[in-house]
Amino acid sequence: MGELSSVTVGDAVLYAPPPETPKLPPREWVKENLFSSPFNSVLTFVTTIILLAVFRGFLSFIFNPVRQWDSTATNMQLFMTRAYPDEQYIRVWFCVAVILILTGVSMAVWRAGSAMPVAGVGHRLLATGALLALLALLAPFSASATVQWLVAALAVAAIGQALRRSAGKGEDERTVSTLTVLVVALAGLVASLWVVPYGHHTYIAKRVPRVLAEPGTVALTTKLPWTIMLLILVAAYFAGRLMRDRLPTNPIRATLLVLWLLAPPVLVYLVLRDPDFDMGHVLGTDLPIFLAYAIGGAALLSWLTRPSTGETGRIVAVLILLVGFCTFLTPMRQVVRIDMLLLAAFALAAPTFAGGPRARKRYAVGWLGVLGMTSWLITSINTPSTVKVPGGFFIGGFTITLMVAIFTIVFSFPLGIALALARTSSMPIFRQLATGFIEIVRGIPLITILIFFSIMVPLFLPRGMHLDEVTAVVIGYVLFSSAYLAENVRGGLQSVTRGQHEAAEAVGMTTAQKTVFIVLPQALRVSIPPLVGHCIGVFKETSLLAIIGVFDVLYIGRIVIPGQTEFMGSTRENVLFVSVIYWIFAYQMSKASQRLERRTGLGER
Amino acid sequence: MTDATPAEPTSGQTRDLSRARDMIVCEDVSKWYGDFQALDKVSATIKEQEVVVVLGPSGGGKSTWIRCINRLEIHQEGRIVVDDVELTNDLRNIEKVRSEVGMVFQQFNLFPHLRVIDNVSLAPIWVRKKPRAEAEEQAMALLERVGIPEQAHKYPGQLSGGQQQRVAIARALAMEPRIMLFDEVTSALDPEMVKEVLDIMKTLARSGMTMMVVTHEMGFAKEVADRIMFMEEGQIVEVGTPTHFFENPTEDRTKLFLSQIL
Repeated sequence: MGELSSVTVGDAVLYAPPPETPKLPPREWVKENLFSSPFNSVLTFVTTIILLAVFRGFLSFIFNPVRQWDSTATNMQLFMTRAYPDEQYIRVWFCVAVILILTGVSMAVWRAGSAMPVAGVGHRLLATGALLALLALLAPFSASATVQWLVAALAVAAIGQALRRSAGKGEDERTVSTLTVLVVALAGLVASLWVVPYGHHTYIAKRVPRVLAEPGTVALTTKLPWTIMLLILVAAYFAGRLMRDRLPTNPIRATLLVLWLLAPPVLVYLVLRDPDFDMGHVLGTDLPIFLAYAIGGAALLSWLTRPSTGETGRIVAVLILLVGFCTFLTPMRQVVRIDMLLLAAFALAAPTFAGGPRARKRYAVGWLGVLGMTSWLITSINTPSTVKVPGGFFIGGFTITLMVAIFTIVFSFPLGIALALARTSSMPIFRQLATGFIEIVRGIPLITILIFFSIMVPLFLPRGMHLDEVTAVVIGYVLFSSAYLAENVRGGLQSVTRGQHEAAEAVGMTTAQKTVFIVLPQALRVSIPPLVGHCIGVFKETSLLAIIGVFDVLYIGRIVIPGQTEFMGSTRENVLFVSVIYWIFAYQMSKASQRLERRTGLGER
Repeated sequence: MTDATPAEPTSGQTRDLSRARDMIVCEDVSKWYGDFQALDKVSATIKEQEVVVVLGPSGGGKSTWIRCINRLEIHQEGRIVVDDVELTNDLRNIEKVRSEVGMVFQQFNLFPHLRVIDNVSLAPIWVRKKPRAEAEEQAMALLERVGIPEQAHKYPGQLSGGQQQRVAIARALAMEPRIMLFDEVTSALDPEMVKEVLDIMKTLARSGMTMMVVTHEMGFAKEVADRIMFMEEGQIVEVGTPTHFFENPTEDRTKLFLSQIL
């Protein structure tokens, strides 16, 4: 893209750019690339006919009047949140708003978006108009419908051409930010909500399905909220711009990252689930336990992170690990056991973070944060929710697909990296354990693991501990996913040359420092393609949760909606719609992966 | 620290180091790779501020010996004592030795995902626990000393070989070592770049650093070395001053080697 500029290595200019090959005008391009020889011409002809036929077949399927697309449109709420009660729906919108605020601010702080030439936008609009015209001609529309579509296509093409004309050339070339284009497109979509007729339908709330009295514009429940959401997104972006210009970059980015990490558990377990805390129990039992660990742990870690502590500190850390293990042998609150294991983990890692008073304070604060988060999560998971939904988990549909995918990816990543490091470690016990775990898990199909964790795990749990089905299943999925991730990361680890290890060792870095600063960055950079591919797989495999009776989005599209009395036999439309949703998200992950590769200079340095 | 008046090329440096302390002491060091013996009862003492050049044919054990000194290779027999710390399996000793000994490799081994200035300041920040600002200041000073301060914010892949090797030298110097080990550092460079790296090494030698250099650059050896050690098949065949070594070597194997390269 663009021209080659002259290349410098060191301080010397190596060569001037070669002369630019002139771009061919369209007719010449077609002639040279599609019709250059008799064989090519026949190939072009045949391929075009095949493509047109397929396109036409596809369009005939979509626009066939027999299709029940209203089954999809009316059940949007079902698709997104299954049976979340209407009275509490404001919580869902709150979650969406929070995510949009974070997105808007992040886009501003990380300078998302680039300048796109207006001519490029015009070009794309022109192409879209042409495609729409083709669609209008091929689809089985009535005459008036064809005319309407053709008019729309011509309008789009005309706008495109106008933009191209006004774009200017060379230095005067006008550019528009990709973010502006995005906002305009979103505004168009939101505006269409106010105009295009959809329906509204609730399921399960009453056994008799209810359709809104006014079949015209979209329910009051969605057109206003989406408009507000769009305004929130734009406002958040500008607020982010303000912050970016006024405040130092690194603290903002660090805070945003922490907020992003906190958002899923807080939104799901505090907002959506709304645990009905028994304040007496919380204040009487949970809070004292938290405070004891917080204060005791912070003191211990402050001592352990002193550079002067040395061997005694390491011995103490291992003893804590032993105590943590022993807590599983006697009846005790689960919180106490988990917090002890957490403390052991922090204690073992403490020597790596040893340093001056500031570093030690940061470590103690980190401990308080993680402890607080864990304690609060455990307490809320174990309290019943005020959101009463018949049939299991409090939410379903796309929310649960996203939730399971995000939690699995976020938790299996560090675990997978740890497993990979253990498998390539020089210490035999870690190596054997990690290899054993990976090989066993890789030999078991995911469905088996999910069924095992949903049915069998409650039998293994100690009395008094209740783990709801989806949480148990997510744990199983995390273990499964981490084994595969470990192998991908191990491939990356093996690509780091021995010289890098030696250089780090020669400069005096400990194994932990070498791994974190030198080996892992290079290993992960190389493993980005398989890692992201795995994440896309995890996202799509959440549909296997249907086996356990969780109402994920594919199950709703495949079974639930075609089971509704007015929409019998609408399987194909709904499954197609669900596929499109999956594709949109998977494609965004792919694009994010490409951006990540470019940013880390993969293939260049 | 630039050399304003280049010293006259002499045969090595005529210095009296007999009263300097022992920095590296090797007693009967032997090492095997499987059945192949790479080092055969190597014994040597290197004094403080001494510049020792190790010459010899490929596979003679030079790189193995020098890598044993900072424990990148582990010797099976004999003793190695670096600055009064014996190299054993004790991790504390190894870490202590590595923080005193800087090494520069033939393949540069710069960290490709970090900028040049981060390459140099990484170890002082995390190993010596220096504050970032101080470490970066020191890094810039070192980059100036090796002559490439303007490259500080580039990535290693954007530098030429000679510049990369100079960054590697700066990185090693950032830990303020007392001994510097050079393992054929100019063998992977073009002739024009060899000179720039050798100039840095000469300046370093004249500033009083204890250096152990494995190289094929005879001119450098003649000019800078206090002693030259000739190694072949894992044994030190001959040790002497540059004058002695190049003008009247005693061993036959040394004479054969010199006849092949000079």
